[in-house]
Amino acid sequence: MNKPLITLLFAILLSATVYGSHPSGTVYVDVNGLVCDFCARALEKVFGRQDEVDAINVDLDNKVITIHFEEGQSLDEATISELVADSGYDVRAIRYGS
Amino acid sequence: MRTTLTLLLAIGLAIAESIQARPVSYPGGWTVMAMNDGSVNTLHVHYSPTARYSLGYKFEYWRDRDFSLNAVQYNHLVQRWNKPESQANVYLKSGLGIATGLAGTQDGETNAAAFVGIAMDWEDRRFFVSYENRYTEAGKIDAFFQQSARLGWAPYEGDYGDLHTWLMVQVEHMPEGEHNITVTPLIRLFKDVHLLEAGLNNRGELLFNYVFRY
Repeated sequence: MNKPLITLLFAILLSATVYGSHPSGTVYVDVNGLVCDFCARALEKVFGRQDEVDAINVDLDNKVITIHFEEGQSLDEATISELVADSGYDVRAIRYGS
Repeated sequence: MRTTLTLLLAIGLAIAESIQARPVSYPGGWTVMAMNDGSVNTLHVHYSPTARYSLGYKFEYWRDRDFSLNAVQYNHLVQRWNKPESQANVYLKSGLGIATGLAGTQDGETNAAAFVGIAMDWEDRRFFVSYENRYTEAGKIDAFFQQSARLGWAPYEGDYGDLHTWLMVQVEHMPEGEHNITVTPLIRLFKDVHLLEAGLNNRGELLFNYVFRY
């Protein structure tokens, strides 16, 4: 087995490990207290500082924030909950999507 | 000089504090708040190291009471209730600074000054209620208690990013004031990081507030 093939296999294995521990893509967060557009700007500011986050959307009707990650990036649930708390809200549920 | 100062404040070059706008922001967040009404022009700039407290500078120009105040203000989020359809908050506000007399025998006099008060609010997407009080002690220059409350109603539920509109009534009570009850119907508009309020009280005096968060 030549060196490039071994390197490729390692890269694939490493990639699979990362994806398994940190599901990436889009995350939906049900949030308590999300009633005010002006105050919810804090969510954009706080999540916007994270390198892993590409963008977030805020749905005031359903009290859900949608977090879009950079390709191959994600945040674990504890970090998401902490960032939501820093923004002034409480997490009700976190759902991972694709 | 005083007329110029008032004019500058009134047109929003100075920034005022709104009783209902959050006195504590998110970690690393700056907020500039202005209040201009029939009695006072204020400027409050604060920084929140954490989501629990903020520290800032407060300037107040009490036109009828003939003094100004420069203070360091500390705001603390005592309690927040986040519910699926509403949010409620209790804050403690306090400040320490220097009061300066602007007329009569107090003209040019300075005195250490302090204030402390509590603020609370509840809101959902349609209704808003708030209450705030404060006691100010400035020694030989002035000392007074004030309290105010608001009721608000949103005629529509805007989506995130829309222009949001609230219709409100503010009632202020200053037992030692020349006019101890002031009623002010007002409109609040906000979009993105800008919040604007305009109203006219029962004596025909203008209220103009602006808040900017970044």
